[in-house]
Amino acid sequence: MQYNSLLYLLVFLPVVMLLYQLLPQKHRWKLLLAASYVFFFLLSRKLIIYLLFSTGCMHYIGLWLNTCDRDLEDFRGAEDFHTQKELTARKKRGILWLGVAAQIGVLLLLKYFNFVSGNLNILLSKMSLSFTFPTLKLSVPIGISFFTMQAVSYIVDVYKKKTPADRNLWRLALYMAFFPSIMEGPICRYSETAEALYAGERLTYHNITFGSQRIVWGLFKKVVLADRLSPLVELVFSKYTQYGGITVLLGAICYTLQLYADFSGCIDMTIGTAEMFGVRLPENFRQPFFSRTASEFWRRWHITLGAWFKDYIFYPLSLTKWIKSMGKKARLKFGRHVGPVIQTIVPLLAVWLSNGIWHGTGWNYIFFGLYYFVLILTGNLLEPLIGKSTDLLHVSRKSIGWRAIQTVKMFCIIVTGELFFKAASLAAGFAMIKSIFTAFDLSALSNGSLLNLNLSVKDFLVVAVGYLVVLAVGIVHEKGIHIRQQVGSWPLALRWSFYYAAVLLVFIFGAYGGSYAPVDPLYASF
Amino acid sequence: MMDQLLEILEDINPDNDYMAEDKLIDNGLLDSLSLLTLVSELEDAFGIEITPTDLIPANFNSAAAMWEMVQRLQEADK
Repeated sequence: MQYNSLLYLLVFLPVVMLLYQLLPQKHRWKLLLAASYVFFFLLSRKLIIYLLFSTGCMHYIGLWLNTCDRDLEDFRGAEDFHTQKELTARKKRGILWLGVAAQIGVLLLLKYFNFVSGNLNILLSKMSLSFTFPTLKLSVPIGISFFTMQAVSYIVDVYKKKTPADRNLWRLALYMAFFPSIMEGPICRYSETAEALYAGERLTYHNITFGSQRIVWGLFKKVVLADRLSPLVELVFSKYTQYGGITVLLGAICYTLQLYADFSGCIDMTIGTAEMFGVRLPENFRQPFFSRTASEFWRRWHITLGAWFKDYIFYPLSLTKWIKSMGKKARLKFGRHVGPVIQTIVPLLAVWLSNGIWHGTGWNYIFFGLYYFVLILTGNLLEPLIGKSTDLLHVSRKSIGWRAIQTVKMFCIIVTGELFFKAASLAAGFAMIKSIFTAFDLSALSNGSLLNLNLSVKDFLVVAVGYLVVLAVGIVHEKGIHIRQQVGSWPLALRWSFYYAAVLLVFIFGAYGGSYAPVDPLYASF
Repeated sequence: MMDQLLEILEDINPDNDYMAEDKLIDNGLLDSLSLLTLVSELEDAFGIEITPTDLIPANFNSAAAMWEMVQRLQEADK
């Protein structure tokens, strides 16, 4: 049962909404919890055990940390308070690491055990050693990468006393399993979403209409655009040795656009569903293709993941004593720009390595992470040089021309990264990049070969018009205009005609049935 | 003392109006590199230690918020 399936949209969601509204306010969160566990069980069956473990573990760790703080309070005013404070701090650090290791350990075991043992076995065989590491038959539950991040953020926030430990296991379970976001996020923070989840706010006309609009917009991106591009993308990437030049380039561009429409479309559906229950989830995208630098791209694409890495890896590492001291020395030696850049090398490497590993199992994912590490570090380092060069050439960095060049440059960088991200292996990624240049032939644009890639002229037309609509909406959002509020202010007849037209468009132009195979949300498998 | 804070901020990025702006982090006017430089300068200038727990937008969104944090950390160190 996917978010774009009829079973979810026409049966599961309406039934949950109806029961939710019928229940007294104080019991509504329990229904959301039950619905979330039913939803997750239907997707993962016995793998639900991992969600239960993760939730139980974070609950226990939270309470343990809380007990430490409470016990310390008993010593306040006592002679040995400072000694007790230090002992408590040490104990809390131990509990924190235990909790984080348990959460991340399960994720790494499930996703990386076979990858590591496989690579070690290759190494051992090259060294002519007969010993081999075993490979395990492991099934990975959907959404584990997302709920693990939520669990870690909760544990760290309780440790830092940013949020109190929740004594109620079931309330925590809802924060972890909330059905609209369990598959693909956005990665929520306990302090930002938990309260609204438990509030049991009644369904309102405003929330339902606004939430539904967001769901329809998400469906449009997922079903009309992303799923339509899927056959072309799968063909080019699975048979990449048969293609080259413009065809591979088209495949990489289409995958980038598909991934955006798929992931952001599902997030729209998630945020829209939550909105109907009065829960405001964090935004995950903000017109990422308008970015001009790699850093900006990651502030606009998968925002909650970037924010998680920044808050729980980048800053804590940057502010460790030895990195701060290294930064100070670097500032004295290399100046006020290069110094801080040097200070960020280790934290940035940790962030981007984690980012690559988080996304999937394979060298291509690790390469993907390191690719952005190099780009961002180089960008930070060269920033003053670029500034001086543009000043020297009297080029305004605020001019439309400069911004357009930067945006196009960034789009090329994004497409290259996504090509490696999707490629069957790192070697396949490099082979595809090579083939773009070695087999580049403009005649592919006119000889009709691009129409033999599982997409008809009609498909190309729908995709082109659809992405133009997405672009137009993006430009409007970039200007700070809220389309749903604008539509909401239209006269009733016009407003509802618009709603019906939008739903009809999805039904008419959606890529489902017939020759279109259903496509699971792409990020659910990460 | 507040003047010293403003001087540090001006040195890091002179383009911002630190007396008026109250969303330096939320609006992306101070990026992570500037923030790390700022942390280091504040620690040296005011003899405080800024930990990751202090690194939240609420503490760095405006010069006033930063000054409040500096004073709080100085008090805690006493």
